[in-house]
Amino acid sequence: MLLTLALRNIWRNKRRSLLTISAMVVSSSLLILALGVFSGMLRDMLASATEQYHGHIVVARQGYQDDREMFANFAPDPDLLQRLGRQPEVVGLSPRLRGFGLVSHGSSTYPAELLGIRPQAERGVTTLAGHLVAGKFLAAEPGDGAVLGRGLAKKLGVAVGDELVFVTQAADGSFGNDLLTVSGICATGDSGHDNSLLRVGLPWLQRVMVLDGRVHELAIAIREPMQAAAVAGQLQRQLPAGMEALDWGQLLPEMREVIASFDVSRMIIVVILYFAAGLGILNTFFMSVLERTGEFGIMMAMGMRPWRVRLLVMLETLAMGLLSLVLGLGLGLAMSLYMAHHGIDLSGSITPVTYAGGTILPRLGAVLEIDNFVIPAALLLAVCLLAGFLPANRAAKLRPVEAIREE
Amino acid sequence: MDLRRCRPARLAALMLALTLFAAPAAALDLRQLIRGVEDQYIGLSSHARMRMEVSTENWQRSLTMEAWSVGRDHFLVRILEPPKERGVATLKVVQEVWNYLPKVDRVIKVPPSMMGGAWMGSHITNNDLVKAAHVDEDYDFALLEETDTYWRIEGLPRPEAAVVWGKIVYQVRKADRVPLQVDYFDEKMVKVRDIRFEDVRKVGDRSIPLRMTVQPLDKPRERTLLQYEKIEFDLPLEKDFFSLRNLKSR
Repeated sequence: MLLTLALRNIWRNKRRSLLTISAMVVSSSLLILALGVFSGMLRDMLASATEQYHGHIVVARQGYQDDREMFANFAPDPDLLQRLGRQPEVVGLSPRLRGFGLVSHGSSTYPAELLGIRPQAERGVTTLAGHLVAGKFLAAEPGDGAVLGRGLAKKLGVAVGDELVFVTQAADGSFGNDLLTVSGICATGDSGHDNSLLRVGLPWLQRVMVLDGRVHELAIAIREPMQAAAVAGQLQRQLPAGMEALDWGQLLPEMREVIASFDVSRMIIVVILYFAAGLGILNTFFMSVLERTGEFGIMMAMGMRPWRVRLLVMLETLAMGLLSLVLGLGLGLAMSLYMAHHGIDLSGSITPVTYAGGTILPRLGAVLEIDNFVIPAALLLAVCLLAGFLPANRAAKLRPVEAIREE
Repeated sequence: MDLRRCRPARLAALMLALTLFAAPAAALDLRQLIRGVEDQYIGLSSHARMRMEVSTENWQRSLTMEAWSVGRDHFLVRILEPPKERGVATLKVVQEVWNYLPKVDRVIKVPPSMMGGAWMGSHITNNDLVKAAHVDEDYDFALLEETDTYWRIEGLPRPEAAVVWGKIVYQVRKADRVPLQVDYFDEKMVKVRDIRFEDVRKVGDRSIPLRMTVQPLDKPRERTLLQYEKIEFDLPLEKDFFSLRNLKSR
């Protein structure tokens, strides 16, 4: 009986109810969209930081990642590779050797970082092959092929097929040097890597650096990047002493902070948006209760208990809240889906920005994450009930005689 | 000159002039002394054959090299042994350094950012090749200590000079002005390496130490030893000998 009454009351003043509902629908659906886009940006950043260079987890000698000392290398034990590859979370595993030196073409010479890789293994960990702007990625047997960043290629003035000289101090103290042939040029948007990184064949780099059979790290891709810390902990137990498994949060502490601050900023946006929406809802409910003072007085005079009056008003707000929730979730989902599939390309007006080791691409997309729906939905209900509680309380505290007289 | 005919004022002026001229001649010209020390292997021109032995925690190297120089600004050195590195050569002209790599037949200029890097895997840096020649111009010198046998001289960088070391202390033997030891301090005045000179021989009319040992102090087990096996001075070498073309020829 109370529920019917509540629904009728909502329907009585259609214009006001529709306005209230639309305020809730718009605020919650926009919030869902905003959070989805925000998550999308974050996912792009994390992907660029991990899937273009590091991988989600990196196994290396203890301390190697601090100074990248050439002699902190190891021979990748086939047994260990197999054990790590068998872990259910691991989807890709790439052994790498890193060398710093000079690359030169004609009369221009620049410092560079060389990453010796096995192309097929590397494809399972990083997505660099998808960022080529010219030429091809390294072949399965890369020989003396090299893929370099667009910035470096421009500085050196090389195109696909050109020859490069690499010079470094090899592990025996001699001048390690040999020729490379540019096989591809890539652009990731990360200016640091685009300006200094070359990928070359692992056997080639091992020979030039006189580090036969040695590598510096095993880069690992896992199924759920956000679970990297836990997986790194599991992998750590498989490693011999003196080796460590670092997740992207340890490799890129700034990125971890960005993720943490995202949670905070998400809450701040939610609070601001719902504070405004909540005030609006509170206002309309108060109006509707004040308008019906006499009516409440009569109901109470007829024997309705105060708690039932309170319940009646709460039910009204709850019903409107639930309706808004369904519509808001639907609209938010629709908008997020659109953004996830089509997105908005901003590359005409802004360039990629590298921040905290990740690159923010000039593209707005969205990711569908459960949290981004649950948080707005739960909070919408909470705000709605809170906004309903004050008027409901007021209605319940009316004294029938005075209330009836008020009209 | 008849001093009796001089007026006292003129006499005083004459005496003053005499003392002014005499004083610098009697005092030790430190800058000149250091210049001599830094140029000891150079002369007008030089040609040498030397052996370099490098020990680090990670590698042991022994190289035989042949080197030529004209003045302080032209220097060419080429590796003779081991066979794997034969023909690798370094050319210095004034402030610039090039390396020639026979394996790829390319000349690579050492960029400014790499000037602090090791030269040929030793404890000598590219900067040592370039800057050492100008120590006497870039530093101001003061006598720290004088004994019967040696001077200790401190060099501090001039304010405007772009230098590598915060302080250099030379210990120079008085008898033949041969350096015994040179200590290098970083900008925080912490001693970071020293070079000891031994095996002093007469070469022509010069006394020069044929062995120098570079010792990085943060790595006591590492060192670079440079032993001159043969050195001759003042040969007819032209500056155009120090060309990129000649760097490549074997």
